[in-house]
Amino acid sequence: MKNLVAYITTGFPSLEFTVDVALALAESGVDTLELGMPFSDPVADGPVIEAANLKALQNGFKLHHLFEASAKIAPHIDTLWMGYFNPFYHKGMDTFITEAKKAGVNGFIIPDLPFEEAKPYKSVIEAAGLNLIDFIAPTDSKARIEQIVTDAKKFIYLVAYAGITGAGKSEDLQEIVSDIKTFTDTPVYVGFGVDQNTAKEKAKGVDGVIVGSAFVKVLLDESLSNTQKITKISAIAKEIKEKINS
Amino acid sequence: MDLHKEIYIPKPSPFDPDELGHFGKFGGRFVPETLMPALEQLRKDYEAVRFDKDFWAEVDYYYKNYVGRPSALYYAENLSKELDAKIYLKREDLNHTGAHKINHCVAQAVLAKRLGKKKIIAETGAGQHGVATATVAALFGLECEVFMGAKDVARQELNVFRMKLLGAKVHAVESGSKTLKDAMNDAIRHWVTNARDTYYLIGTVAGPHPYPMMVRDIQSIIGWEAKEQLNAAEGCLPDKIIACIGGGSNALGIFSHFLEDESVECIGIEAGGEGLECKHGCSLEKGSPGVLHGQLSYLLQDADGQIQEAHSISAGLDYPGIGPEHAFLKDEGIVTYSHITDVEALDAFVWLSQSEGIIPALESSHAIAYLKKMKPEDIKGKIILVNLSGRGDKDMIQVKDILKEQFA
Ligand SMILES: Cc1ncc(COP(=O)(O)O)c(C=O)c1O
Repeated sequence: MKNLVAYITTGFPSLEFTVDVALALAESGVDTLELGMPFSDPVADGPVIEAANLKALQNGFKLHHLFEASAKIAPHIDTLWMGYFNPFYHKGMDTFITEAKKAGVNGFIIPDLPFEEAKPYKSVIEAAGLNLIDFIAPTDSKARIEQIVTDAKKFIYLVAYAGITGAGKSEDLQEIVSDIKTFTDTPVYVGFGVDQNTAKEKAKGVDGVIVGSAFVKVLLDESLSNTQKITKISAIAKEIKEKINS
Repeated sequence: MDLHKEIYIPKPSPFDPDELGHFGKFGGRFVPETLMPALEQLRKDYEAVRFDKDFWAEVDYYYKNYVGRPSALYYAENLSKELDAKIYLKREDLNHTGAHKINHCVAQAVLAKRLGKKKIIAETGAGQHGVATATVAALFGLECEVFMGAKDVARQELNVFRMKLLGAKVHAVESGSKTLKDAMNDAIRHWVTNARDTYYLIGTVAGPHPYPMMVRDIQSIIGWEAKEQLNAAEGCLPDKIIACIGGGSNALGIFSHFLEDESVECIGIEAGGEGLECKHGCSLEKGSPGVLHGQLSYLLQDADGQIQEAHSISAGLDYPGIGPEHAFLKDEGIVTYSHITDVEALDAFVWLSQSEGIIPALESSHAIAYLKKMKPEDIKGKIILVNLSGRGDKDMIQVKDILKEQFA
């Protein structure tokens, strides 16, 4: 069975709605939820997720909202926090570890904290029984892949193409996947540009997919009511889960 | 030493970062994994030319014949009389394109060309770095795209036109505060997608390693020349050196060769904007350590670690961060940092224009203004070196609007 990881931006359009969407995703076959921490300068993200981040902040999102919402969500689905490094650094990694344990969140995904800079934090996070997800990009050499994946836990986030989220480009990943697999048994999930149309293709040879912009696009769609958004997001999740396992 | 004959080559500095780009706890590389191989490659490529005579000889050719280096060191007679001190201005404003930015553009473009890159991108605030990048792109036949905050596009319209005239494509960035910070976000996004064939020509001593060190090495030609020129004029070191700080490139450029001289006080001037209790750009004085644009340094941020908007009358200083080496030099107490407000800078803009016949850039006006802010007893009889990082032509439309009553 291949896994589906879903990303949604926390606090957009509202915190209550984030909880509702998260629970609906859990019921639609999503295996792991990435709760995005809105950040003012999301440089790894394309226009869709960037817009959701900025709108959540304009709506008054604060980190304590993330902590509160997570406590309602994490009992129902494997949950990770996905956020840029500055809030972690500013509040202190210890604070995040404590809050994650309290809420039942299992770890962090930090796209601007590469392997070298992650080192001192990774050991602390793991000692607390949490995970820090490692990234592999299509630009990485085999030597770098070996360095990174040797100690990778939970899953490896394979970036599908050189670019930002939601760009929907494609690159042939077969070679890089087999490189990763020579060094580790940790599952490999592909993210960036995965939606209903590309999921089946992108899931080839890997253990799961990560979907973000496809869900956030629906969150941003002002022509839909909240109920319609939930219905649509659930349908997309089910469709993707089915396609990657067909 | 004859500066017209000598070739500038950087030398190792006690303030060099470690292999991962750390100046103490600052600096580093905080970027998406996709960029790490490109940065590691650039680090190696730069290390290979850092002390290479051939490389710097090629750069030197353009410095002397195209940029107009060495830039003059001018004894500002009228300011000196008024302040009862010896004021020397390092005339980076006389460089081709009107500011120190052309220095790191020429050297980085020569590097990009050597690396076989066909395209260059840049972020820009005041447009000086964008213009300088567009200029070297035209010179070396490279394709050029410049990212500029929409707010800056409006207040620096002359420079936008110059960039377009030079053949560059200008992207007006509409996200966030629509200034330099957001321009840099979009330049990074573009680079993540195109690193394989595109050189990102960063315009200051900020960003992920190796940029802070590389740009500092390149700009340090300013202080290298000034030290020699001042020695020829006065036979000694300056007592104080003053430079404005946006990201910090002109400041490190003039400070670096004096950091080990204990008698010399280096003073970096941040943008005080509307005052430290209002909107400003004082990352060092009012910010705290954090990560933005690939580096750990001082930042303007809120309690949650969200980046706050900076404010300055000068687009080139309107940035919520600062280069990591400055963060290190501040914490170590090696450099003094202070600030100048919009009003004080504007006043100095007029003061220098009317007392020396030199119209400074609004950025550089912050450094000039500090001459007046110091206590008279602190500067009486002292030799003071000010980095005049750029000329005010680009600011004419903006300043005309503000001062039209005064000069009606
Ligand atoms: C004339 C001038 N001086 C100073 C600056 C600030 O940059 P830095 O602090 O890197 O010298 C700029 C930036 O655009 C500039 O145009």
